[in-house]
Amino acid sequence: MSSISLSSDETPQELSRSRQDTSDPPSQWEQQAYDPRERAALVLGEHDFTTVTDSIADIALGKTPTMWYVAMSVSLSLLSLLVVTIGYLLLTGVGVWGNNNTVSWGFPIINFVFWVGIGHAGTLISAILFLLRQNWRTGINRFAEAMTIFAVCCAGIFPGLHVGRVWLAYWLLPYPNELAMWPQARSPLLWDVFAVGTYATVSLLFWYMGMVPDLATLRDRATKRWQQLLYGVLALGWNGSSRHWMRFEKAYLLLAALATPLVLSVHSVVSFDFATSQLPGWHTTIFPPYFVAGAVFGGFAMVLTLSIPCREWFGLKHLITHRHIENMAKVMLATGMIVSYAYSVEFFMAWYSQQPYEQFVFLNRPFGPYAWAFWTMVTCNVIAPQAIWFTAVRKNVWAIFIVAMFVNVGMWFERFVIVVTSLHRDFLPSSWAMFAPTWVDLGMFLGSFGLFFTLFLLFCRFLPMVAIAEVKTVMPQAHADDHPVKFDYQPSPDTPKELRRGHWFT
Amino acid sequence: MSDHKPEKKIKPPQSVGWMAEYTDENQLLDACRQVRDSGYTRTDAYSPFPVHGIEDALGIKPTGLPWFSLCAGATGTCVALLMQWWMNAVDYPYIISGKPYASWPAFIPVTFELTVLFAAFTTVFAMLGLNGLPKLSNPLFNNPKFDRSTDDRFFLWVDSNDKYFNSEKVKGLLESTSPVEVSEVKEDDSPTEIPRGIIWAIILLIMVSLIPAVIVLDMRNSRSRGSRIQVFFDMDYQPNHKVQGSTSWFADHRVQRPPVSGTVARGELYASDPYYLGYDPDATASNERESHFVSLQADDANSAGQVNDPNSAEAAAPELNYAWLTQIPGTVDGKMYDLGKKKFDINCSVCHGVVGNGEGLVSQRAMNLAEGYWLQPTNLAESRIVEQPVGRIYYTITHGKGKMGGYAASLTPQERWAVVLYVRALQRSQNAKSSDIPENVTLSSTAAQ
Ligand code: HEC
Repeated sequence: MSSISLSSDETPQELSRSRQDTSDPPSQWEQQAYDPRERAALVLGEHDFTTVTDSIADIALGKTPTMWYVAMSVSLSLLSLLVVTIGYLLLTGVGVWGNNNTVSWGFPIINFVFWVGIGHAGTLISAILFLLRQNWRTGINRFAEAMTIFAVCCAGIFPGLHVGRVWLAYWLLPYPNELAMWPQARSPLLWDVFAVGTYATVSLLFWYMGMVPDLATLRDRATKRWQQLLYGVLALGWNGSSRHWMRFEKAYLLLAALATPLVLSVHSVVSFDFATSQLPGWHTTIFPPYFVAGAVFGGFAMVLTLSIPCREWFGLKHLITHRHIENMAKVMLATGMIVSYAYSVEFFMAWYSQQPYEQFVFLNRPFGPYAWAFWTMVTCNVIAPQAIWFTAVRKNVWAIFIVAMFVNVGMWFERFVIVVTSLHRDFLPSSWAMFAPTWVDLGMFLGSFGLFFTLFLLFCRFLPMVAIAEVKTVMPQAHADDHPVKFDYQPSPDTPKELRRGHWFT
Repeated sequence: MSDHKPEKKIKPPQSVGWMAEYTDENQLLDACRQVRDSGYTRTDAYSPFPVHGIEDALGIKPTGLPWFSLCAGATGTCVALLMQWWMNAVDYPYIISGKPYASWPAFIPVTFELTVLFAAFTTVFAMLGLNGLPKLSNPLFNNPKFDRSTDDRFFLWVDSNDKYFNSEKVKGLLESTSPVEVSEVKEDDSPTEIPRGIIWAIILLIMVSLIPAVIVLDMRNSRSRGSRIQVFFDMDYQPNHKVQGSTSWFADHRVQRPPVSGTVARGELYASDPYYLGYDPDATASNERESHFVSLQADDANSAGQVNDPNSAEAAAPELNYAWLTQIPGTVDGKMYDLGKKKFDINCSVCHGVVGNGEGLVSQRAMNLAEGYWLQPTNLAESRIVEQPVGRIYYTITHGKGKMGGYAASLTPQERWAVVLYVRALQRSQNAKSSDIPENVTLSSTAAQ
């Protein structure tokens, strides 16, 4: 690594490091470079290509840890709760939900927006951070992309069921039919179908394409026949040819460039579902950026929630270092600040508009019957992330974990506040109502976590959890220019001229 | 390397090239340059991660992949715009939220999404296609050492199809690049035919998967008398009651519920409040109202036809027997009188005359023309009208009477009541007795005025 370090000024970290040397080996926090001129190592410890491959491939190919079975049985039982509640819903009808005429959106839409929002971190890490040349993304992108896809799976369930007659959900798609009807392209609900559909597809493609070289690694290291077959088919015959790599990298760059505006568009479109209505509390121009920031905020909280225990349990601390965690926490803090700002702008606009309905909604939020939800949201989303400012918190990954948990809760409540408090008291007081979830609502919400964690555990167990090939590119060993010995070859003077070839030929 | 297929598997597998293994990407880059400068073109390098600079070192052309993405993206844009225009402006146009049929701004989100979708799909599949993937068999995979190409080793391969290929020379060249090992790549001699069993299984699978489609096609092209198969009931059967049905749930066994007493349903005020009707509907027998309805219809039928005897209309409509209001509702004051006078002069005086004696200007002219169909407006001061309750007069103004049209469209209920008050005042003035003159006013003083 190119590190220009002036020996004269020692940072406090370096001092503490030399002090610590006598007793414990230095923690990752202490190993981090705190001089901005110094670049933090992305893979910690004595590692080369072989050990990096080993540490990831062994998780997928080795023996299943007992804890995995425990975790899997918990998530499978939650998943069965989802299956049961959906079955009950289909047999009985959507009346089993707590939704009523006034609060017609209720839990299904809250959960939809919650899960779709979580899905945003994955693509953000894999696409936007890629374009911004944030190399630290390599440790966590696979992980976050997987999380994205599973979160979008969970998200898709809810609006699908909320349409009421699920078996007619295909009516959402534009296809020539015997009803001689077409979907309504001037409605944000149709935009939503396309936005979420495209997002799910592109994320899946991005994820799978990025995984092909790593699947080839697993194929080549697999010893059991079924593993060789499975990974062999999935790896599509990848062999690491430099021509393949060149096209692969180009495709990756193109996908990143395509996914970047896509990730910003998806939650914008989701917010249009609200913003294009005329309901006070929804009819707001700030919604698209506010939703996108909130999605990234919630998404990073979820990545932290997953990666902190995983790096511990699967022994990936050298690849997902403290620095990775800290960087994510900082992104979470930054987006959290944007979200807090958006909250305050909403209140300002209500006051400034002098619009009685708008003002009523924004008084009803903090002081109305759902004040508890509003204040939970504020505590979790505005106050809790401020802890990240403190070094003491960032120094301890588990403290960051706790903050992330707060944010997870807070982001769910944000959607609750937006959906329920705006709907439950609209223009006509005679139609005011309260919303309370039924056991089916709660069961489906919990069950969606079951689905999420089941998929995630399967991913952790059987697929390469970290982008092996990508991590290798950011290791110092992969940087030829850092090793002055090489590139000394010159064509000998007696090489015939037609054989001294330029670049652009095959 | 399918072009030199051996006739049968009698010969040992042929060599398809030489492969050198390196531990380090820099050695690989070095070797690539040497091989390139020795003139070999059918070469390739294999690495566990993209090695930067290898394109130059090996002389690889840049890829045309971005053009695929661009074209696909443009296609996506066009498809999306055309699709939405077709859906909402051509094939199924309807107005919603005041937007034009082809509202291009509202079409943007879907257009954007489809652009990205098409471009992303094409990028991935074009990448795989250009790479010749999926390709599950590769002669390189015969060498178990090659497994490390996806782990920690780097390989350089020279194809035996190369123009300058000479087995000994290539081997020598590769050996001079300080590799870990140089090995000959043998062609893949594993059987290429797909096992019979798998082929049969695939055929069987295709057949079985066609069965549902065949059933559906058959059903679409045949008629059946049976009821449709209902997987989901789609609200066809519901546990609710039919409108006129009975139930044991309520004491009166009626499914339809009467309104809660003392409440007025929205929109029913005008049909139940005497103020708006001129009579008390509760105290009026319902058969009375129905009979009137019938007579009104008879009336309409008359007026729609030929002009007949002017007096017949009056004869056709029997006098109503409603529970008329006998007092003007609300406070009666000078303001109301003024309003009534104003409205009477505007609306009624042309026929009934300013004093209500039936000698209005229109009437006078019509009488002069001596047209047979003109019916002289009623003298409002005649005793029949004087004796009518106020509610009756209100009703006349609202609905009209015989030859006279109703004034509900031009007078609000409040104005109608004001006119009633003024009519009463006129009646009083027309039938004035000397006792009506206040004590302090003498006839001479009024005459003087
Ligand atoms: C176009 C001429 C015309 C105008 C204007 C008119 N009327 Fe009449 N009115 C008539 C005629 C004609 C009759 C006699 C109808 C009949 O008996 O067929 C009549 C009848 C009446 C009667 C007697 C109904 C009965 O019970 O027999 C009243 C009261 C009356 N009008 C009030 C009014 C008032 C109040 C207005 C002003 C709002 C008004 N009219 C405006 C032509 C008119």
